[in-house]
Amino acid sequence: MTAIDPKTRWRQHLAGTKNESGNVLRVAIGGSVTAEPLEPYLGAHLLDKGFSPVVTIAPFGQVHRLCLDHESVLEGEKPDAIAVIWRLEDLFPAALAKTLDDPAALQELMQGVQTLADAVAHLRKSFAGTIVVSVPPYPAMPGFEVQELTQYGAGMAAHAAACALWEGEMRKLEHVRLLDLHGLMLHRGAAQAQDARKWYLYRQPYAEVFWQDIGRQLGRIIAAEKTSAKKCVVLDLDNTLWGGIIGEDGLEGIQLGQDFPGSAFRDFQKYLLHLKSKGVLLAVASKNNPEDAYEVFDKHDAMILTKRDISVFEIHWESKVESLRRIAAHINIGLDALVFVDDNPKEIGEVRERLPDVTCLMVPEELAELPGLLAATDFFDIPVVTEEDRQRTEMIAAETARKQVQGDVLSEEDFRKALELKIDVFRAQRQHLARITQLINKSNQFNLTTRRRTLAEVEALCGNDNALVLGMDIRDKYGDYGLVGVCIVQKDGGACDIDTLLMSCRVLGRGAEETFIAQIAAAARQMGAETLRGKYIPTPKNAMVKDLYARFGFTHDAAGDTWTIRAEDVQPPPAHIAASLALDDNANRKG
Amino acid sequence: MSDALIDLFAEVLQVDAAELSDDTSPDNLRQWDSLAAMHLVAAIEEKFSTRLSTKEIMKMSTIGLARETLKGKDIDV
Repeated sequence: MTAIDPKTRWRQHLAGTKNESGNVLRVAIGGSVTAEPLEPYLGAHLLDKGFSPVVTIAPFGQVHRLCLDHESVLEGEKPDAIAVIWRLEDLFPAALAKTLDDPAALQELMQGVQTLADAVAHLRKSFAGTIVVSVPPYPAMPGFEVQELTQYGAGMAAHAAACALWEGEMRKLEHVRLLDLHGLMLHRGAAQAQDARKWYLYRQPYAEVFWQDIGRQLGRIIAAEKTSAKKCVVLDLDNTLWGGIIGEDGLEGIQLGQDFPGSAFRDFQKYLLHLKSKGVLLAVASKNNPEDAYEVFDKHDAMILTKRDISVFEIHWESKVESLRRIAAHINIGLDALVFVDDNPKEIGEVRERLPDVTCLMVPEELAELPGLLAATDFFDIPVVTEEDRQRTEMIAAETARKQVQGDVLSEEDFRKALELKIDVFRAQRQHLARITQLINKSNQFNLTTRRRTLAEVEALCGNDNALVLGMDIRDKYGDYGLVGVCIVQKDGGACDIDTLLMSCRVLGRGAEETFIAQIAAAARQMGAETLRGKYIPTPKNAMVKDLYARFGFTHDAAGDTWTIRAEDVQPPPAHIAASLALDDNANRKG
Repeated sequence: MSDALIDLFAEVLQVDAAELSDDTSPDNLRQWDSLAAMHLVAAIEEKFSTRLSTKEIMKMSTIGLARETLKGKDIDV
């Protein structure tokens, strides 16, 4: 928590009195209202997330122009993100007012919304950075008062229809993010969010507290494009997933179900299941007798979570620190990707002290707040949920099965053969971009250059004749890993530069690296390049690939700090792997 | 003695407190434009935990008048 308020923090940042380091992130905002109050809140939130933000507010009331000609409205400013904040009552007041009396007027309102949607589509084509647009809030204008006795439904239909059209049009445009102003206003409460004095004096409709809500939400959306979310929630059991202590209270005695506080624990489990559907893994770290704990999962009627929803169980009397280490190792993620939830301050304290990278959350004293505990954080802000995300728990389960086979009988070589690995490397298509961007922004360990990019930037590279964006898909007889490797090469005369090379750590050590490098070399040859040239940019997390290029026979050129190899000298993929390479535009993976 | 109100104006308007006095107004200080006026109202309300009416806000055309308004609300400035 920062001790100083966001406005002071932001002023100090602007004055340069506090030395803030971080990636510069330029955000331009255009509003149908005076949007200046947003600046300090957005700025402070992005500072908290480790960025060095530059916030520009475009001249008031130029929403359409900003979309159609952002370069001239922003006077040459080159933002990383543009946010458009607009309201129906500002842009289409006449049409909106008419809908109250004349259902046919809805058409006129819809045309207006469509025009703005077309303008955003134009912006999407002409601007490569992140675009965020608001969902218009329920109108604040005479005739739309929801508290009037006779007003029910009058304004709702027009607002709902406009929002539905808007959302549909925005979803058609890829990677335009929605800032749900309407939802935010419901959350804050319209009466608290609005400030009529400010509206009449300054043409800005909101109370400071609501600008703070908007700034935080917009900051979350923009930061989520560039930072990695937490990957796993590690849960205590007694007084965290249910009330009471199973070892003492027994199956009948624990609190879980219809009545409070059991209902709060049940709803917390429901929220965890929701997180799991977004690709967040769940694990258990509990000091208990395993048979007591499993009995609850197997036999308690009100349990929402099943054993299959939990990727790793660490139930024993050893320390939680040890459990957390094992969980991270088992699913092959860093400790900083874990969020640990426990009701015991001693456990939390010990983890905080010995594993400072783990994020710890206490079960709140007020149990009614438990179901909302994780929703109140931005730990799991994932811009787009991919198919790989949804399947993650199943993939981890398949991995556990693999490890069992490996542990059982086979030699390393037999094990590799037994997996029946199939690896497809292919030119990235539109449908792969979300997943590829996700990997580019979250892979830390097996990542040679750690260059982060937005989806629009990756898409631009796909359309560049001198660049090639490759994806790697892996599956074996236990399951599908999905798209787990990304490489971007850029042709420079007779050489191909490996701009980006990364892989999910789950697939290492089974021939995936060899296969990927081999196929990258083959692709480079098809592009007419003789040499492959790579670079290793060290970060605190990617030491594991320090010697990767040396391992594959690249030679180091000290002058440019690059690694090179003749493409034809690269070894073909290992014999036990069924490998394919598809560089056609319409390459169909898993073909 | 530093003056809390002058300091607040100085911080929001990004000018040296020494340049400000009770006679400072939008007419003699370029930085005090309409956007700054909006930020000033928000800052005053936050700093002194008060709520200004539109009438009071429109009357605050100098720092001295702002001081008078706040004093009228039993705020010691």
